[in-house]
Amino acid sequence: MSTDAPEQSERPTQEISLTLNGESITAEVEPRLKLSDFLRNHQHIRGVRVGCEHGVCGACTATLDGRNVKSCLVYAVQADGSEVETVESLADDGELHPIQEAFHEEHALQCGFCTSGFVMATRELLDEHPDPTDEEIRTGLADNICRCTGYHNIYDAVRRAADEMEGAGTEADD
Amino acid sequence: MSRADAGADTGSASGEKAKRESFTGTSVKRVEDHRILTGQAEYIHDITPEGCLHMALLRTTHPHARIESVDTSKAEDHPDCALVLTGEDLVEDYNPMPCGLEGFEEWSLATDKVRFVGEPVAAVVATDRYVAEDIVDLIRVEYDVLEPVVDSIEACDDEVVIHESVGTNVPDGECLEFGDPEGAFEDAAHVVEREYSWGRISGVPLETAGVVATYDPDHDEFDVDCNIQLHTLVDDTIYETLGYPPEKVRVNVPADIGGSFGTKIAIHRYCSLASMASQHLDGTPVKFVEDRVENLQGGDMHCTDRKYRVKLALDDDGTVLGLDTWFVDDFGAFPRYPVNQALKPLSVVSGAYDIRDVRYDYDLVLTNKTSQTAYRGFGVPPHLYALEMAMDEAARELDIDPTALRHKNLVQPDQMPYTIASHNVYDSGDYPEALDHIQDIVDEKEVCEGGLLDPAVVEAKREEGKYRGVSYTLLIEPGVSGSDWTDRQRSDREALKVRDRDEVAELPEHLRAEVRDDGTIQAWLAADSSGQGHQTIVAQLLADELEILPSDIDTGYLDSVTAPTVYGSAASRMAVMLSGAAKGLGEKLKGNLRQLGAQEWGIDVDDVVYRDGGVERVDSGDRFSLADLAAIDGGINDPKTRVSYDYQHPVTELPEFDEALRNKFPVYPTAAFAANAPIVEVDTQTGQVEILKFYSLRDCGTQLNPDIVEGQAHGGLAQGIGAALLEEFGYDESGQPQAVTFFDYLLPSVKNIPPLELHHTETPSPFTATGAKGTGEGGMIDGPAAIASSINAALEPLGIVADEIPATPDRLRRKVREAQE
Ligand code: FES
Ligand code: FES
Repeated sequence: MSTDAPEQSERPTQEISLTLNGESITAEVEPRLKLSDFLRNHQHIRGVRVGCEHGVCGACTATLDGRNVKSCLVYAVQADGSEVETVESLADDGELHPIQEAFHEEHALQCGFCTSGFVMATRELLDEHPDPTDEEIRTGLADNICRCTGYHNIYDAVRRAADEMEGAGTEADD
Repeated sequence: MSRADAGADTGSASGEKAKRESFTGTSVKRVEDHRILTGQAEYIHDITPEGCLHMALLRTTHPHARIESVDTSKAEDHPDCALVLTGEDLVEDYNPMPCGLEGFEEWSLATDKVRFVGEPVAAVVATDRYVAEDIVDLIRVEYDVLEPVVDSIEACDDEVVIHESVGTNVPDGECLEFGDPEGAFEDAAHVVEREYSWGRISGVPLETAGVVATYDPDHDEFDVDCNIQLHTLVDDTIYETLGYPPEKVRVNVPADIGGSFGTKIAIHRYCSLASMASQHLDGTPVKFVEDRVENLQGGDMHCTDRKYRVKLALDDDGTVLGLDTWFVDDFGAFPRYPVNQALKPLSVVSGAYDIRDVRYDYDLVLTNKTSQTAYRGFGVPPHLYALEMAMDEAARELDIDPTALRHKNLVQPDQMPYTIASHNVYDSGDYPEALDHIQDIVDEKEVCEGGLLDPAVVEAKREEGKYRGVSYTLLIEPGVSGSDWTDRQRSDREALKVRDRDEVAELPEHLRAEVRDDGTIQAWLAADSSGQGHQTIVAQLLADELEILPSDIDTGYLDSVTAPTVYGSAASRMAVMLSGAAKGLGEKLKGNLRQLGAQEWGIDVDDVVYRDGGVERVDSGDRFSLADLAAIDGGINDPKTRVSYDYQHPVTELPEFDEALRNKFPVYPTAAFAANAPIVEVDTQTGQVEILKFYSLRDCGTQLNPDIVEGQAHGGLAQGIGAALLEEFGYDESGQPQAVTFFDYLLPSVKNIPPLELHHTETPSPFTATGAKGTGEGGMIDGPAAIASSINAALEPLGIVADEIPATPDRLRRKVREAQE
């Protein structure tokens, strides 16, 4: 057993600049740092959750330059010069986004650990298919795992959100 | 049956109680949601205090080996290393972890031997997790590799013994007889005897285990933030391991826990290690978050893995005269504390059937695999699966329609409450009616032209090698576990035979509340929550009691030192226990507030009533609101606006349960039930099972919040589908785990979930305050047996039975091949 006080070792780092939820940030990061850990531990973005760190569960879903990615499969340095959005960007001053509202109304979350990922997946899905068929919903959500809800209420939430957002204009939402 | 007062008129000026809207029974939207949806919820993974260091674990890759030496010198030389702990360090200062059976010694880090792949051997603390993992790689361990014990049946031969000090791989077992099973089998016209196996599965919540531990050197005590389940009950697993009294180890849970399903009851290894590390580092907080690979291979959270032999004794007309079950449960390397899953099936030993002569025999077996803990259903799912498979096979053998055979043996409504052979009592329900009802629905919608079971379609599909079928099963979810029975295996079983009813001690549920200055209520739970919506339920229940709005009530969580020892959120207890606790708490608070008003007015308490969120003088109609009362009460040492209440388990008042209680047989006073009809299609060329539609009629008594009840059913059924078709922790012959990522442990995704049609009835429980029954585990209990039985129905023409769960494509394909040979 040893209890030496730690002193930071020299490890290579790299400077990155990106836009995170509309704000420009610059940071020094190790090249091996995952984007998920960068967002969570360095930027205190809790909405990005980590359920597997190998690209299956989708809890870490974030938007990188307009496309959803599993942030646990991307290194922070790969986001250099990019625009990153997380679930934190959705609610407007505490007012829930229609997708979030739909999840609430339809009881589409229980423990909530998967929820930001599903909300982000729904956002991309409705961007591409504002009025999705069941098959499109299935495909759109197939990369996310929820262990609590059994998915039925998530389907309903997606349908409700689609209804709500129709008329409001889906572009406006982005 | 309907929820009579939902949506009734609220605003009557007279405030008559009968006219008030009842929130209980309606789908009040959850108070938990907003913070979760906006990313603000704080799970344990999000808690990182200033200056916190991070722990990583070195885990062995050997299933069975003697540790010869552990060389930590290179690790300690790493400039970012704060601490390295090995098993030897622990032995000096701490205790082994409490174990589920006597005679075992399990340390948080392996000492002499490793006994499963993934068992932690050393802990490293460093500035961040990445670096801690770098340092782990610098530790060198020499092993003397031993032969692993992998197969649970071979393990019973004791050729290689995993725990030398115990001397056997079968540390416990019991053969219980109820009625006269021997006589029943002797007299039977038919005896059906078959074997079944249930694969190793688990709850696998999306959030892994996590802990932040901080030692306080000034007071020599610990603060342990973690996502352990049952934090006021199993905190002993942490404080005993540390060697401290309970009040020195404050276990705190966040309001949001990312699922547990039983599995996080056993995360004390991590909690203890982080606490020890913080103590070695003079109080620097130490954080550990289990990663997914660690969780799947060595997270102390596997669940039932059973091989069954089931015998049914039957009359010529299909009456089941006797039931004889034997199973081995593959526990993995250690019997997990506090209680294993071998006994709960006794609470539903004969399923929904009236069978009086029963033998229940089991052996607990140790192998070189990750240990078990609890998972939704707690051992009942495999039991009901095995029983229903045997019913299907008996129907084939006697050439009786399986549904008719089931009907013939169902407990009848006029037998309720029905005491089963093993002494638990089913409270209420009309099983035959429920089974008929679901069959009528399926007949009408599907066994007709254009339906999934249109005979012409079924025939045509069969030509293509696709076999469709449905089975109608009635399955029971035992709810609201008592606690006294749970140490049966650590008790002197002979002494139980003469035990007195007075010696039974159940655990209550605790609730606390205080009126705040603005007249709103702060309530506290002593149980943890992992998605069940307890804050919402408490707000609903208390709002009704106190005649205020749910939005006027906030609910927090008590830590393990502040709270008394209660059972907590498990065993489908909370709906019933919280209802009782809220009622008791509300009554106590209202009584106090009337007294307070009476004192202030200088009148007799009988002349004061509680009404509409305040107290009122009967003579003049003058009122004090809750805010007034908080002000009146302010500054008094023994405030009347702050109350706590312990709701005692309902069985303590019910003589029906005396026999079960005295003998420490599982006591579950509510029997929720489901009549299921999953329509399946088996592709005999690929072995793939598709559930085309799942019909289910469910009854959990009075529903406190129908949305939440339905959510529990959806989630439970999804887990049931996973258990029946997808999930398994396989091990190869050398003891290496085969499912260590989500690529190999297959959780149901949106693609595996069939259309679902749920119907609800409400048969109130006569045994509980609100008529509610426990309903946290349902779908996981009744899903697998129902699906497997439908597979049997589909494959009946080929004579195939789904005798192995999960019924994976390769297994079914093999059976089809054999059948066609
Ligand atoms: S944490 Fe990224 S996909 Fe699971
Ligand atoms: S709500 Fe728990 S994982 Fe989806």
